[in-house]
Amino acid sequence: MTMLKIENLHAEVGGREVLKGINLTVKAGEVHAVMGPNGSGKSTLSYVLAGRPGYEVTKGKVTFLGQDLLALAPEGRAAAGMFLAFQYPVEIPGVSTTMFLKTALNAVRKARGEKEFSPVDFLKLQKEKMAQLGMDAEMLKRGVNVGFSGGEKKRNEALQMAMLAPKLAILDETDSGLDIDALKVVAEGVNALRSKDRAFLVITHYQRLLKHIKPDIVHVLADGKIRKTGGPELALELEDKGYAEYTGDAALRAGDKSI
Amino acid sequence: MNAFLQQEAVIDATLPWLEDAQKLGEQPAADWVKALRHTGAEAFAHTGFPHPKQEGWQYTQLRQLTDGDFHYALEAPAFDVNALPQPLLENSARIVLVNGKYRPELSDAPEGVIVMSLMDASVQVEGIEEHLVTVGDLGKAPFKALNAAYTHDGVVVTVKAGAEVTQPFEVLFYNVGDTDKAPALYPRCLYWLGKNSSLTVIERHTGTGAYFTNIYAGIALEPSARLKCYKLEEESATACHFSYTTLQQQKDSSFEGFSYATGGKLSRQEYRNLLIDSGISSKLTGAYLLKDQQCHDFTVLTDHFEPDGKSVQHFKGVVDDQARSVFQGKIHVRRAAQKTDGNQLNHALLLSEKAEASFKPELEIYADDVKCAHGAASGQIDDEALFYLQSRGIPQAEARSLLIESFLNTVLAEVSFSPVREVYEERIRAWLRH
Repeated sequence: MTMLKIENLHAEVGGREVLKGINLTVKAGEVHAVMGPNGSGKSTLSYVLAGRPGYEVTKGKVTFLGQDLLALAPEGRAAAGMFLAFQYPVEIPGVSTTMFLKTALNAVRKARGEKEFSPVDFLKLQKEKMAQLGMDAEMLKRGVNVGFSGGEKKRNEALQMAMLAPKLAILDETDSGLDIDALKVVAEGVNALRSKDRAFLVITHYQRLLKHIKPDIVHVLADGKIRKTGGPELALELEDKGYAEYTGDAALRAGDKSI
Repeated sequence: MNAFLQQEAVIDATLPWLEDAQKLGEQPAADWVKALRHTGAEAFAHTGFPHPKQEGWQYTQLRQLTDGDFHYALEAPAFDVNALPQPLLENSARIVLVNGKYRPELSDAPEGVIVMSLMDASVQVEGIEEHLVTVGDLGKAPFKALNAAYTHDGVVVTVKAGAEVTQPFEVLFYNVGDTDKAPALYPRCLYWLGKNSSLTVIERHTGTGAYFTNIYAGIALEPSARLKCYKLEEESATACHFSYTTLQQQKDSSFEGFSYATGGKLSRQEYRNLLIDSGISSKLTGAYLLKDQQCHDFTVLTDHFEPDGKSVQHFKGVVDDQARSVFQGKIHVRRAAQKTDGNQLNHALLLSEKAEASFKPELEIYADDVKCAHGAASGQIDDEALFYLQSRGIPQAEARSLLIESFLNTVLAEVSFSPVREVYEERIRAWLRH
């Protein structure tokens, strides 16, 4: 089943075109990796999909589970089953992590026509998911991401993902700011969610995350376009050769022809 | 215009405001009360309402008040007793003032607290005069002077030395307004805590219709006395609320005040917190939530006279529509007040392009070994945080509310008495649904 279909997507940030015609199809059960050098449009793609204000789509179409994704507000996209794990999770002083999780979970359930969680069921679920991610209950009382280390922030993203149980999870540079142990824990959290009904779009600069979250399909994004698509071996090739092949002028021209 | 004519003009403008005070002349009163009325009337007649160029009055425009026609009445109008709001806390004792007049038949004080009308106390309580005829120059405080001219209504609350009052004590100022003949109210109140006593007060100001209330309050804390005073200024939408509080703290006493302000079309709460001895803790914090064309002003002076004092002025506010907020805070540290720890912080969150927040933070320090900090800033809702919450499925309106609550939570954390903190939280949530 096709989960996400991106067709000829163009987008601008601050009047500058960053995405220049993306085509990408993700089916349920698949894990796609989008790799690319800095400035290639990786984060822009994730923000456009999540509906961040200021990221303006100028052309193209995105269909998510049969719906016009671009017509939905960010919260509507979450309710429809999309989740973005942020590269830089935002700190929100004064809102406790547990309050945040409960508000988010119940908002999504309400929007999906499901019953809100009872406080007991919520706490049970929260406890179970935290244990899986090796998280300390103490952080629930703290403000969302306030004073969290890089690793704690990413674990918190993984926790939110586990609790919201999305259909499609977009991981934006989840490996940045993580040491190897934290990376393993977060990757395990993601792997535990892999299922035939769920898909992942893993956005990353480096191959190291893909050692822990094995992709089915790898895309190379450069200068706002997908330049190449292949299997997991493409990631290893990039590890060896870097992105030079995709960033030179000649390469870009060649890429243009191939699309 | 020469100075004489100018003065005549002021007197012409102020006389209507003082006319009703003549009604009080026929009432029996202690000599000091008569003298206070006279001094107040004279001072107000000469100054009139503050001019916008006058120090401390640059940001708050008084036209909504001065263009109005308000009259003082000896009797409160008839009203339906059932219309009084329920007490905020189930276990509290409560006294009620209707249009500034103490109503013993509606009142009940906690054990250890003595309550009297101002006029009764003025002849029965020894030494009360020194707390009610207060320090400071009436010529520089026109609202205080105007209140003094009408010294009659109000209440005196005393706690004996050593008494620890555990039951929360609500003081309800219920104001019945009138569109045709709007009342002017001038209550004068005193909280007087004896040595080593303690009390928790919830002071509520609310009402219906148009009125102008101009309150003077004295708070006297004897050595080691501890007062928690939680105010809710929720006047009717067409009311003007002015209050002037003189807090006088003696050695090792402690004060924890919080003021929650959402009411009235034009309001100003002014505080003079005098830490006249050593080892005093004085904390005044608050939150304001303003909308439509409301204007609210907090003006706070904290004056450290002696060493080892600790003071906090911490206010946060949310300003929507075309509302305006004013915060003027000053910490004054005298030469003898070494080891003073003073902290002043004011933040406003502007929710609309036409909302305005003005700040005037000041430190004036003459001692050389002190720790004082101040800060003031206004900002808007953090777009990144808003998007983060929305991306987790929280609808935009709810996400905004959550961020506003979180902004105010840091100042609510200063309220150590949790039942009242919860009341404030509920009220903030209700306000956000407006």
